[in-house]
Order: sequence, then C-alpha cells, then structure tokens
Amino acid sequence: MTVADEHGPERRDDDLVAAEYVLGVLAAEERAAAARRIETEAGFARLVEDWETRLAPMADAYEKVEPPANAKSIIDTRLFGAGTAAERPDLWSSLAFWRGAAMVALVALAAYVGLTYTNLPFGNQPLQEQRFVASLAHDDTDVRYLAVYDSTKRDVALSHVSGARPDGRDFELWAIEGDNPPVSLGVIPVGSSVHVALSEALGAAIDAGAVFAITTEPLGGSPDGTPTGPVVALGDLRDI
Amino acid sequence: MTPDEITKLIFRTALKERAAFDLLYRHTSAKLFGVCLRVLKDRAEAEEALQDVYVKIWTKADRFAATDLSPITWLVAVARNHAIDRLRARKAPAAELDEAQAIADPKPSPESLAQAGSDRRRIDACLGELETDRAMAVRGAYLNGDSYAELAAHFDVPLNTMRTWLRRSLLKLRECLER
Repeated sequence: MTVADEHGPERRDDDLVAAEYVLGVLAAEERAAAARRIETEAGFARLVEDWETRLAPMADAYEKVEPPANAKSIIDTRLFGAGTAAERPDLWSSLAFWRGAAMVALVALAAYVGLTYTNLPFGNQPLQEQRFVASLAHDDTDVRYLAVYDSTKRDVALSHVSGARPDGRDFELWAIEGDNPPVSLGVIPVGSSVHVALSEALGAAIDAGAVFAITTEPLGGSPDGTPTGPVVALGDLRDI
Repeated sequence: MTPDEITKLIFRTALKERAAFDLLYRHTSAKLFGVCLRVLKDRAEAEEALQDVYVKIWTKADRFAATDLSPITWLVAVARNHAIDRLRARKAPAAELDEAQAIADPKPSPESLAQAGSDRRRIDACLGELETDRAMAVRGAYLNGDSYAELAAHFDVPLNTMRTWLRRSLLKLRECLER
C-alpha cells in the first residue's frame, strides 16, 4: 500500500506543500503557514525533513564566501552582550584567553589563529569528564527531549524540545541497560531545561549504549517502580 | 571537519558551550554566508541574515537533536529558510533578476561530476531526466529562492503552469531518487 492509498489525497497534498516549502517557491504567507505547521505537526515536520534530505545535494553548488572579520563579534554581542567571556574555560582556556585578553589583536590575527584552530585535533581532545548525549523521540508522538548525561557529576540535563505532557500525568525518565529491566531515574520536572540527579549506584550502571526512555505515568511517578504508561520518547546514549 | 565532528559541535552548542559555538562558526560560516549571499544578492543584507542565522543556531541547536538530518543539511536549511523568508519579506521584490546569475546554473562539467559526492551525482542525474527548462527552474528555485511568480515571469508562462511544472518535476525527482 502506498502512502497515498493509506492517507488519501490530503497526505499527498501535504507532501507537495512540504516539497514546495523546501524548494523555496512559496509566497510569504504560504511559507509562514508551512513554518507554523512544522512547529505544531510532527507528521508534516517529517515530510519537510524528508524533502530537505532529498534536495540537500543541490546545496553543494553554494560557494563558500568568507564573511567579514567582524561578523562573529557582532553575533556574540547580540547573544551575550559586550565583553563577556566564554562560560567553560576549562577545556578551552587558551582560546578563552585569546578572546578575553586581546579581542582586537585576535581580529588582526584572524588568519593566523584560524590556521591554529583548523589544526586542532578536535576529536582527540582529552576530556576531563565523560558525557553522553541522547536525542529522545518517538515516531508516534511529538515529544522530543535532548538528554545529556554527565557521568562525573551523575547529572542528567534534559532540554525540552517539543510535546506537552497530558493533563494529570507526569513524564518519567528510565534507563535501560542491555536486557535488564528499566530503572527509573525519576519524574522529569516541568520546564524547558531541567536536571535529574542520579544516585551513585544508578550513575555507575549507565554507560554508552544505554537507552533512555520517557513514559507517561500518574502524577508523582510510576506507583510500582516499573513503567506503566506508554513510551513517548526514547534514544541511545552516544558518547560526546 | 567530518560530519560527526560538526554534529558534536552542534550538540555542545545546544549545551551552551561558547567555545564549541565559536568552532562551529569558524568551520561553517563561509558556507552559510555563501547561501545568504546567493539568495539575497546584497552583501549588507546577507551579513545581517548571517547574524540572524547564527543567533538561531545558538538558540535552537537542541532542535537538531530531534531531526534525522545530517548536520550540514540542518545548518544549510536554517540559513536557506531564513534567507528566503527575508527575500519574501522585502517590500518591493527585486524587479529585474540578474538572469544569467539567477536562473542559469551551468550544467556540471564532467570533471566536477567526477569529483562530486554520490548524492550529488544522483540528484544531478535525476534533474537530467527532467526537461531542461524545468530542471533549470528547480535549481533556480532551490539555490536562489526564486518564487513561483518570479519563475513564471522568467520563463514567460502563467503562474499556474509554473506551479504544475514544478509540482510534477518534484514528484518525478522523488520517484527517480527512490528508484
């Protein structure tokens, strides 16, 4: 059965609107309407994503053009205000030094520093902490979270991307390691950016390859310590 | 820089690590500026668009985690969509397109085809199966953000004809790419 048989002409039209949006031919109002649907309809967003992937190889034809040297500092000022230093100087202290101490000189030396940056063996930097990231999602829902697990601090940072919890229900986070039963990491607090702290024993059990899952549960969490509601999002932890 | 490394930089940007954002900018801004410049065809406006694009990347980097797009595809999509939105928002649309630049994208030479990645070769081959003017319209729309109205004027056909051309071309293109 084809997609069109399954969903009728409406779905086919949606697919064409998605294609036209990605191609870029729609008028302003039509584009704005499509953009709103991407935000609110997971199915439509997926159609758009499929077309982005299909047409993406054409983007090879865009030539690289170096932006003006001051463009980045304007962006930084817009985002962070004037004269603010980077927040994580630990790993990148030398870069932070350059940026903080000698902004003007840095611009003058852009070509030289650019060379240095380019040669940084980024993937081989010794990390002072072990962190894992998981994108939590499910095809049947629009619930999306970005989860970052810091094994040193035994902290799970959750960034809420989309999808509301049903009225009168909570989201609960689970870790699944191999064939073991899911272990509750607790109810996810409401908010766009929240943290869940883990006990030492729980933290030790989580490693790359573990799966994080989110279920809906009665308020306050699963009554018996095992998932009782449907899985609304899940994803593998990958090493960053 | 490999796609995996760019993915890591986007994830770290989502965690609000400015050093990762700096590196991401360093490695991707030339491509995204090229996108803004080609669509907007005005240097000052492209510079403003590029700023907006990186502000969006900083604030919406976590969205990337929820997509299946490759990192460069996601970044180019953010830039293209923003540049095209700006183009549409202009009060008076640029009356005369520089037609040679706006529409005609020279057919890829055999050498560049040989160098291009396999995805690029596939879409070029599929575009090659379309009638020449339709393939040009598809490329013009994608690369320059030409609207239906502009394409209809350029090819001197009614708006609805252009709409039908491009819709059929998109369906053929998909059928070819999935073959």
